[in-house]
Amino acid sequence: MTLQRWSWGVGVAVLGAWVLAMPALAHHSSAPFYDATKSVEVAGKVTKFLIRNPHSFLYVSETTPQGPVEWQIELGTAASLTRTGWTVDTLKPGTEIRVKGQPSRAEGSHGMCCARITRPDGSPVTPGGRLTEEKQPPPL
Amino acid sequence: MSALLAQMEASGLATWVRESPSLWAYPTILTLHSIGLGIVVGASVIVDLRLLGRARALGSADVSGLYPIIWWAFAVNATTGALLFAADATRKSAQPIFLVKLACIAVALIATLRTRPLANGSDLRPGRGTGTLPAVLSLLGWLGAIAAGRMMAYL
Repeated sequence: MTLQRWSWGVGVAVLGAWVLAMPALAHHSSAPFYDATKSVEVAGKVTKFLIRNPHSFLYVSETTPQGPVEWQIELGTAASLTRTGWTVDTLKPGTEIRVKGQPSRAEGSHGMCCARITRPDGSPVTPGGRLTEEKQPPPL
Repeated sequence: MSALLAQMEASGLATWVRESPSLWAYPTILTLHSIGLGIVVGASVIVDLRLLGRARALGSADVSGLYPIIWWAFAVNATTGALLFAADATRKSAQPIFLVKLACIAVALIATLRTRPLANGSDLRPGRGTGTLPAVLSLLGWLGAIAAGRMMAYL
């Protein structure tokens, strides 16, 4: 086989693998980890709010009959969160919130992404802010 | 070892990379890492394909002239890569795919060092010579490093 035909073979194989992987890589690359066809809602207290790169994380403790469950909510980059006006003081530990988002695909885990975060009564978290997409944490 | 990695991760510089909301922190470092990658691998692919008999119009001087570009861009990526690693050292060091990436880079670097003298010499012949093996290893190493690096976000 000539080098030229070999090169074409490699090219076609890479393209084929890429196309097969596309469904898994689509949608802001959260699809491999979170199930966009499902929705989960949690009310609880903030335990930790880590604004960092490449992704920020919010931890919320939910009280269940079996005891407290800590949810890990994956948020956007430090730059995009800060630009939206969210700082670590926006959600201090102990703050009561309600979070609705897509559940993690990992069996037995309590993870969430692409979340909509409000006060327990559904009002906006940011003081004086309207409950608009702009005032929500940006997606991944 | 793990104490050292934790210490590295807790350093002021690593904390700045990880936690600063500034576009000059993580976003810029990652951008430079992508640019360096494009230049290192782009220039290397030209050298490797030449050694494999493609782009035969390129002479010895043309190919030799690409090496300083490869080394400088690699220096950018070693630096930005070290910063990105430090920001998340304990987790990244435990990722098998990260070790695969480092191994790919090692193979590619050694292969590139092996092709360097060939670029000057009489082995820069159309599709022949001792350059075939290092050229193939360099190609596979760099492409493998890109793939493994990207997969670090998923594995």
